[in-house]
Amino acid sequence: MTIPTKDKINIAKTIAWIASGFSIIICVMLIANYLQFKSVDPLESDALNTLVERLHDTPRDEALKEDIRALDLLIRKAYFTSQWQIRIGAYLLVFGIIIFILAIRYQNSLKSKLDELEGIEKNPFLDKQLARKWVVYVGAGLVVLALLSGFLSYNALDTYEPELIADSAVTPETTQPDQEVVVNEPGTESAEAQTAPIVENEVREQQESTTTETSQSETKTEQEQKTQPVEKPLSGTASKIVSQEELNKNYPFFRGALTNGIAFQTNIPETWDGANGENILWKIKPPKHGYNSPIIWGDKLFITGADEEARQVYCYNKNTGDLIWQVNADNIPGSPATMPQTTDDTGLAAPSVATNGQAVFAIFGSGDLISLDMDGKRLWAKNLGVPDNHYGHSSSLIIYKDKLIVQYDTNKGGKVFAFNTSTGEKAWEKVRTGVRISWASPVLIDSGEGAQLILSAEPLVISYNPDTGEKLWEVDCMMGEVGPSVGYADGIAYAANEYATLAAIDVKTGETIWEESEYLPEVSSPLAADGLLIIATSYGVIACYDAKDGTKYWEQECDDGFYGSPMLADGKVYIIDMSGKTHIFKLAKEYQLVAEPELGEKAACTPAFSDGKIYLRGFENLYCIGK
Amino acid sequence: MTKLKHFLITLSLFLINLPLWAQAQQRFPKPEFETGYVQPPTTTPDPRALFLEYLDVFVLIAALAIVSWLALKKRSRSGIFWMSVFSLLYFGFYREGCICSIGAIQNVALAIADPTYVLPLSALLFFIIPLAVALFFGRTFCAGVCPLGAIQDLVAFRPIELPKWLQKVLGLIPYLYLALAILYVVTKSDFIICRYDPFVGIFRFDAEFQMLLLGGLFLLVGVFVARPYCRFFCPYGVLLGWMSTFSKKHLTITPSACIQCKLCANSCPFGAIEEPTPAGSNRKQDVKRFMVYLLFIPLWIGLGGLSGSMLHVPLSKMNKTVYLANELVENPELINDQEHIDVVTFMQSGKSMDELVIEAKQIQSQFYWGGWIMGAFMGLVIGLTLVKLSSHRSRQDYETDKTNCLSCGRCMDYCPVKVNDKMLIMSKK
Repeated sequence: MTIPTKDKINIAKTIAWIASGFSIIICVMLIANYLQFKSVDPLESDALNTLVERLHDTPRDEALKEDIRALDLLIRKAYFTSQWQIRIGAYLLVFGIIIFILAIRYQNSLKSKLDELEGIEKNPFLDKQLARKWVVYVGAGLVVLALLSGFLSYNALDTYEPELIADSAVTPETTQPDQEVVVNEPGTESAEAQTAPIVENEVREQQESTTTETSQSETKTEQEQKTQPVEKPLSGTASKIVSQEELNKNYPFFRGALTNGIAFQTNIPETWDGANGENILWKIKPPKHGYNSPIIWGDKLFITGADEEARQVYCYNKNTGDLIWQVNADNIPGSPATMPQTTDDTGLAAPSVATNGQAVFAIFGSGDLISLDMDGKRLWAKNLGVPDNHYGHSSSLIIYKDKLIVQYDTNKGGKVFAFNTSTGEKAWEKVRTGVRISWASPVLIDSGEGAQLILSAEPLVISYNPDTGEKLWEVDCMMGEVGPSVGYADGIAYAANEYATLAAIDVKTGETIWEESEYLPEVSSPLAADGLLIIATSYGVIACYDAKDGTKYWEQECDDGFYGSPMLADGKVYIIDMSGKTHIFKLAKEYQLVAEPELGEKAACTPAFSDGKIYLRGFENLYCIGK
Repeated sequence: MTKLKHFLITLSLFLINLPLWAQAQQRFPKPEFETGYVQPPTTTPDPRALFLEYLDVFVLIAALAIVSWLALKKRSRSGIFWMSVFSLLYFGFYREGCICSIGAIQNVALAIADPTYVLPLSALLFFIIPLAVALFFGRTFCAGVCPLGAIQDLVAFRPIELPKWLQKVLGLIPYLYLALAILYVVTKSDFIICRYDPFVGIFRFDAEFQMLLLGGLFLLVGVFVARPYCRFFCPYGVLLGWMSTFSKKHLTITPSACIQCKLCANSCPFGAIEEPTPAGSNRKQDVKRFMVYLLFIPLWIGLGGLSGSMLHVPLSKMNKTVYLANELVENPELINDQEHIDVVTFMQSGKSMDELVIEAKQIQSQFYWGGWIMGAFMGLVIGLTLVKLSSHRSRQDYETDKTNCLSCGRCMDYCPVKVNDKMLIMSKK
C-alpha cells in the first residue's frame, strides 16, 4: 500500500505541529523549572539560614539540629531533582526540535518544486544608492554616538587622590572590635597608679596641644577645604614622639628598646624553677597560642595569640598576671576568610607587638595589622594582603618616631612600610626589589650620622632612611631562608644566617669589615655589645667573637638549640634554649656561666625585662619571674 | 619531538594549575560532620588526551575536504547538508563547541600580543586551515563544517531576502565585533567571542539563562533570516570572506555556461548571488562618484580613529582591573565589603590602591591607542564598503558573491544545467 504524497505531507505537517507544541510546552516547563531551581539553592535558603542562626544561640539544641539536617536534606533533594529535571527537559526539548526539523524537512522534500524566497523588487543601481546612503548614515551615526559616549563618559580614575581609599578603610566609629575588658583586681590599683599618671599626662598634653592648634588653624582649615580635596576623617589624634629615654625605661619592641638585644633593666633574677615555682611570681596560660615575645609598657604587658578562629591581642597586668583586656583583630577589610597555611613552629602569631605607650600595634600571619590604644580600643586596622609565606609571617613590628615600621617580605616580593602610628596612613612604602622572602625583623640603629633602618633578607642586607624610606646602602651577603635579624653595636651591623655567613658591616659605608662562617644562627639574632658578639645556633652552640675583627673567643656547646635571641641585661646575657632552659652567662671574653634555670616547658621566645623581673613565654604559659 | 613538546606543555600547564586547585580548595573548605562522615577525595577531570586533539584536527581537515569536494565536484546540496549535520553533532554537541575556529582568533591574537602565552597547536590549526581552504575553494567551512552555521541552517525554514541596504549595514557588525574581540584580547581583558557565543550553551545543555535565551532568539530569527549569526556577527566570517574573495575554484551556480533562466535569482537566502548588471549606467558619473568615495576614505579613517579613542573609557570598563579600580574610587566604602569577592581578592593580593589605579590607567591607555586602531579600521571598512558600492562591474551572468557566499550549494539545485549537460557540451566540442 502506498501512501499518497498529499497524505505524507499532511502526516509530516501534523508531526511538525505536535513536535512544535511539545517543544513549546517543554520550553515553558524548563523556564519555570529554572526559576524554581534558582530559588531552591541550598546555600541561599532563608529558612535554613534562619534555623542556623537560631542554632548559634542554642548550640546544644539537638532537636533543632535534626530539623536543620532534615530541611537541608529536603532542600538538597529539591535542588538536585530540579537539576535532573532541567537536564532531562533539555534532552526532551532537543528531541522535540529534531523531530520538528525532520518533519519540516521531509515535508519540504515531498514538494516537487524548490522553495523560492519571497522576491523583493531589485534594481542594482537604486539598491546600491540606497545602501550607500544607509552606510553613510550608520557610519556617521556610529561616529556621533562614539563621540557623544566619549564626551559623556565619566572616568572616575581621573578623580582619584592617592590613598583616599586606604585612609577611609577603617573608622573606629563603624568598626567596633570584639573587646573583652577585664576589671582590674583591687590589689593592682596602686601599681597602676604609679605609672599611669605619666602616660595620662602625656596624652592630656598632647590632646590639649592638638586642641589649641586646631582652634588656631580653624579658619585656615576651612579655607583649605574649599580648594582642596576633602580628606577623610582620620582616626585618633597625632601621636607624641616618645624619647629614647622613655623607651629605654620600658620594653617596647622585640629585642628591647634599641631593637638590638640590649635591655636597660637591672636587678634581674638569675635563678628560678618553673617546675617547683621558685621565683615564679605568676604564671598564666594565654587563651590562644603564639610564638611572639612579651612587650611591656608601664604596668601593661602585651602579647598576641591566634588560631584559625581568631587573632587576639592580650594585655596583662605585668605585676599580677591579670588579663586587663583582650581584643579580637577582626572585621578588618581584606582579611582572608580562611587563614593562610602556616607551619606549627611559626603559626599565625609569631611577630611580637610594638608599643609607644600611646598605642599598641600587632600584626598577624593573615596580614592583619591593628592599632589599639592602651585601653584596647581600636584606633585603626588594615590588611596588608595575605602574605605568601610557607612558614608564616614572623617579622616583628618596631616604631620609629611616629612611624610604625613593617617588614613584609613574602614569596611574592618584599616591601617595607612605614605607617603613621596615629592614623595608619602610609608614610612611605618601598618595594624591596631584589630580595626574597624573609622572617627577620627590622632593626633601628643610630649610626651617629642619623638613624638607619636595617633589614636582612636573601640576598641583601639593606639600610634605609627611616624618615623617607630612601635606600642608604646594601650588602649582598645573605642566602637561604633568613630568620635572624641583624645585631648592632658601635657602628657595625652584624648580619648572619645559617648556610650563609656572619658579616660585620660598617653602617656608614656599607662595606663588609669581616666575615666568618664557623657558627651561624638559624633563627636567633646576633647580640653585640662591649666589643663582643654572641651567636647562638639552632644546634645548641653559643659562640663569642671579637666584634671588631671576628676573632673567636669561645664556644659553648649546649644540650638544646636556640630559636630565641640573646638579651643583654645587667651585664649578663640571657638566652633560652628550645627545652626552656635559660643560659645566663657574663658578657666576657671567657665563658662564665652564671646560672641555667629551667622554665619547665619548651620555649622559643626572647626574654623581656621590667622592674627587676624577667618575663618568659613558653609554648603554653607566660611567666613572670622575680626575686 | 612535537608529541614530546606537547606532553611537556600539557604537563607544565597541569603543574602550574595545581596551586590554583589547592587554592580553590582552600577558598571553599569542606564542611566537617560530627557524624563521622568521611568526605570523598576531590577528583579533577583529566586533561583531554593529546591524540584526541589531533583527532579533532583530523576531523576538521577531513570534513573540509569532503565538503569542498561536495560543493565543487559533486555539486550535492544534500551531501553538504548531511555533512553539516555531522559537524553539528561532532564539533557542536560532542566537542561542546570547543575547540572552534571562531574562538581561535582570540588565541592567535593573544599569542601575537603576549609572547609568554603558549598557543595550543590545535587552536592554531583550527584558525589557519579553514582560512587556507577558503583561499582556494571558498567558504566551505561555513557550508558544512562550522557547528554554529549548521545549527542555524537547520532551522532556516522560511527565509526571506533582506534588502541590500540592510544587508550592507548589518554586514558592518562582524567587522566591529572582530575589532572589539582583538582589542579585548590584546589588552588581556576578555575573550568576548567565547563569552558571548550564543550556541555554546545549547551544545553543552548548560548555560546561563540569558545565554540560552540569546541562542534561542538567534535560532528563532534564523527561521526567517537565514544564518543571522554567520552573516551579521561572525568575526571569523570576515577573515573567511577576505580569503574567499581571492579563491580560484569557488563554487559556481551553474557547472557550465549560464543560460540566463533566472531560476536561481531568488534561491539564495544569504543574498550572495549577484545579478547581471543592466546596461545604461553613466560611466562618467560612476567614475566621479567612485573617486569621491575613494578620497573620503582617509576622512572615515580619521573620524573612526578619533571616535574609537573617545570610547576608551567606557570600553575599558569591561576590563576587570579597570572596573574594580572605578568601583573602589567611586565607592570607597566598598573596601569594607567582605561579600565583594573582587574587593576581598584585591585586598588579599597585597597591592595598594595606588598600584591598582596606576595599573588601571595603564590599561586605559592601551584601550586609548587600541581604540584609535579599532576606530581607524572601522573607518576603513566603511570607506571601502562605500567605494565598493560605488564601483560598477559589468556582469552578464548570475554569479556568486565570493566574499559573502557560504558555499551551501542551495543555488546549484535551482540551476537546470547539470554536470551531464556540461559533459555533453564538452564532448560535442
